[in-house]
Amino acid sequence: MTQHEQRKIVIVGHVDHGKSTLLGRLLMDFGKVPQQTIEKVRKVCESRGVQLEPAFFLDAFQEEQEQGISIDTTRVNFEFDGHRFLLIDAPGHLEFLKNMTSGASGAETGILVIDGHEGIGSQTLRHLKILGILGVGKVVVVVNKMDKSGYKQARFEEVAAEIRAHVEREGQTCLAVVPISALKGENLTSTCEGLSWYTGLPLLPQLVASTSAVSVDMAEAAAAEPLRMVLQDVYRFTDERFYAGRIVSGSITPGARVFFSPSGKVSTVEAIETFPPRDMQLAVKGDSVALRLKDQIFVERGEVVSLPEQTPEVNNELQAKLIWLNSEPLDWANEYLLKVGTQEVSCRLEPSNMVFQQVGNGDFVDVVIKAQKPICFDRNGFGVDKFVICTTYETVACGSIMALTTAASQGSQKSKNIVVESGFVKREEHENRHGHKGTVLWMTGLSGAGKSTLAKALERRLFAAGFRVQVLDGDNLRSGICADLGFEPEDRAENIRRVAHLSKLLLNTGTVVISACISPYEKDRRIAREIIGAEDFHELFIFCPIEVCQSRDPKGLYKKASGGQISDFSGLNAPYQPPANPKLRLDSSTMSIESEVDSIIAMLQAEGIKPPVSAVGARGELAWKP
Amino acid sequence: MTDYLTRLEHESVFIIREAYKKVRNLALLWSMGKDSTVLLHLVRKAFLGHVPIPLVHIDTSYKIPEMITWRDQYVKDHGLRLIVGQNKTALADGMGPDKGRLVCCGALKTQALLDTIKDNNIGGLLLGIRRDEEGSRAKERVVSPRPEDGTWTYKDQVAEIWNHYNLHLPENVHMRVHPLLSWTELDVWEYIEREKLDIMPLYFSNADGQRYRSLGCWPCTGTIDSCASTIESIVDEIRTTKTSERAGRAQDNADTYAMQKLRSQGYM
Repeated sequence: MTQHEQRKIVIVGHVDHGKSTLLGRLLMDFGKVPQQTIEKVRKVCESRGVQLEPAFFLDAFQEEQEQGISIDTTRVNFEFDGHRFLLIDAPGHLEFLKNMTSGASGAETGILVIDGHEGIGSQTLRHLKILGILGVGKVVVVVNKMDKSGYKQARFEEVAAEIRAHVEREGQTCLAVVPISALKGENLTSTCEGLSWYTGLPLLPQLVASTSAVSVDMAEAAAAEPLRMVLQDVYRFTDERFYAGRIVSGSITPGARVFFSPSGKVSTVEAIETFPPRDMQLAVKGDSVALRLKDQIFVERGEVVSLPEQTPEVNNELQAKLIWLNSEPLDWANEYLLKVGTQEVSCRLEPSNMVFQQVGNGDFVDVVIKAQKPICFDRNGFGVDKFVICTTYETVACGSIMALTTAASQGSQKSKNIVVESGFVKREEHENRHGHKGTVLWMTGLSGAGKSTLAKALERRLFAAGFRVQVLDGDNLRSGICADLGFEPEDRAENIRRVAHLSKLLLNTGTVVISACISPYEKDRRIAREIIGAEDFHELFIFCPIEVCQSRDPKGLYKKASGGQISDFSGLNAPYQPPANPKLRLDSSTMSIESEVDSIIAMLQAEGIKPPVSAVGARGELAWKP
Repeated sequence: MTDYLTRLEHESVFIIREAYKKVRNLALLWSMGKDSTVLLHLVRKAFLGHVPIPLVHIDTSYKIPEMITWRDQYVKDHGLRLIVGQNKTALADGMGPDKGRLVCCGALKTQALLDTIKDNNIGGLLLGIRRDEEGSRAKERVVSPRPEDGTWTYKDQVAEIWNHYNLHLPENVHMRVHPLLSWTELDVWEYIEREKLDIMPLYFSNADGQRYRSLGCWPCTGTIDSCASTIESIVDEIRTTKTSERAGRAQDNADTYAMQKLRSQGYM
């Protein structure tokens, strides 16, 4: 049995530009429309005294046929040249925007239909933007009704150039622009006389060429992406618990250590259960699975399962771009329901720019979502990065999550009525006096990787070269300013937040700051980067295999941790998330301290940081040479 | 690599689990036909062999007799909980297809279904309808709320984006949940073939070269000419046919918008 893979394509565009006609045409030519349906539509058309209207194959509602519009979205399957397509028709009227969005959210590629005669309409651009929010980043544009515009190449080129510019501006990809006549079925599979000047592929061969079959994409994506499984339910039909949910990114295998967010619980996958029972060794993106775990942990619907080293972010505030889909405008004072993955939390919305303007049906707005409790999420177009906003019974908006809010980097501000003072001596003034620039060198790595040792050596060299320099050493801070903090994820986050703010203060005095903390969570380091400012934040990954750290064990901590005296020890029983893109990666198991210091100094030089002229004596110069 | 049928299966399992988690007193509307039997199989997949919800069958009393025999045996063999609904009042008053097909469907199917939902305090139903069956079903959402009188507000359906379904139940409303909406007739048969499912024998060609492609009440459901007597040969037949699946169903053809009218009143 040959099972062709299916491409999911949504047809969007301005009202009356011919979406349903195109779809109906494709359906009639390739979709195996049953004879009865054709007869039925022919009869309806005859009784209304109109030509056979292919759109009626889709617009089955009486109201749709009488008014000649699409009210709701439809999906049809059709095959061309052995390739299987799922085409989603989406109504163009603003009034039916929520239906368009419902349909489009299931697609991978968009066909944007433009009436070549009329040109780009208001809905054309709105639909393009919606596809962007929905994550449908690739579009094929068809310039329709070429018969009406006399098959003029100049007109086509004009529309094509204009739409290409728009697609680019939205950060999307324009796969092709194809001139067609949907009504006449021209340039769908083969070119026609009027379009002899057109050198590209006709629409369907173009679709086949520029959209890959789903499964190829999925297999590649699953291999590259971090695991995310949204938990739907925990079943106890017998004595055993089964953790049921859907993998939305990455893959999972029995034996994997899994981390539940936001609860922070950890366990190991014993088996992926199936009915009828079979030995399942791998589940991938898109799969609905039931996991049997080593430990019968207590977690509830809404949690996100990941690997311990690639956890989602957890926060109760998030920045997002959304589109409003309801005839009732957004009410900034209202409480809404936020759904991310299988999480449902009550929330309020605030405009990112603090301008509380009216947001109505079809409007786009950047918001800060303030959830009642922390939720977990992703960004950057993978995993749990999409959300909907609901009232009790309706979905009123949808969107994608963007950057972390700055509020998150400020910690939970308990003191109110704080007005930030300004007018103090500026950083540049400090730097001018010292004769060198300040910066932050943020070391991250396992305990025993050699952060403190390297920090000391680096500090000594920079000091000798004439720099004002200060080390913020994790353990030392924890015996002073951070003495009240433990090693739970929240305390670790607070620890890093404080170190980041300290770094920032010192940076303002023009100091070169060396921070040496494990800082195991990607999320915390990102907040640190935000506090300090990306241009001054230099992430140095001090790498060392855990076995080597264990054998070094300078503080005897590994011994204690493996003896069970310390819990939450990064790398052993708490996660360590290595940085994906550090400024420098230094392997302390193979490099000498001197060469590590040299690499950092070379990096500083490359960044344009120079020691003060006054200090450059023989000793200073020596210190500054890598 | 996950194949197409497996992806459909996983999508449906996700929907079934969502409905089971969020809808009180969920039930499965089972007509013993191929679609709802596939749906029943998917329920087992979702719950690792268990069927934690009752089945509902609306018996118009006009069903093909073999269907009822097969139903009772199947329920017994698989240890299932079955609720049978019937509009006894209408039947006592002599309701039948001779009173008009749409009237009959309205009384013996739609009304019987609504009464059964009310009598058993059912909060939601899993239904095996598919988009490719006919035009008005093509416009359905996966989750469709229905007030007490069953009406479908098809002109203003709630948005259904990505996999976020609106499953909160207002008072006196029941949810229609359609896990097979994206499947086609061919998918269903290919899946039956792959999973080796036990399927009603009426679908297979008899000695006279006739078989049912769609099952319903005997006065309104016709057979088709076919010599397909195995699942394999049915798959082959569906792959090449140009006739619609419900061509043998008289109620669909009673009037141009018959199905839309029936369904807007609560028909399945």
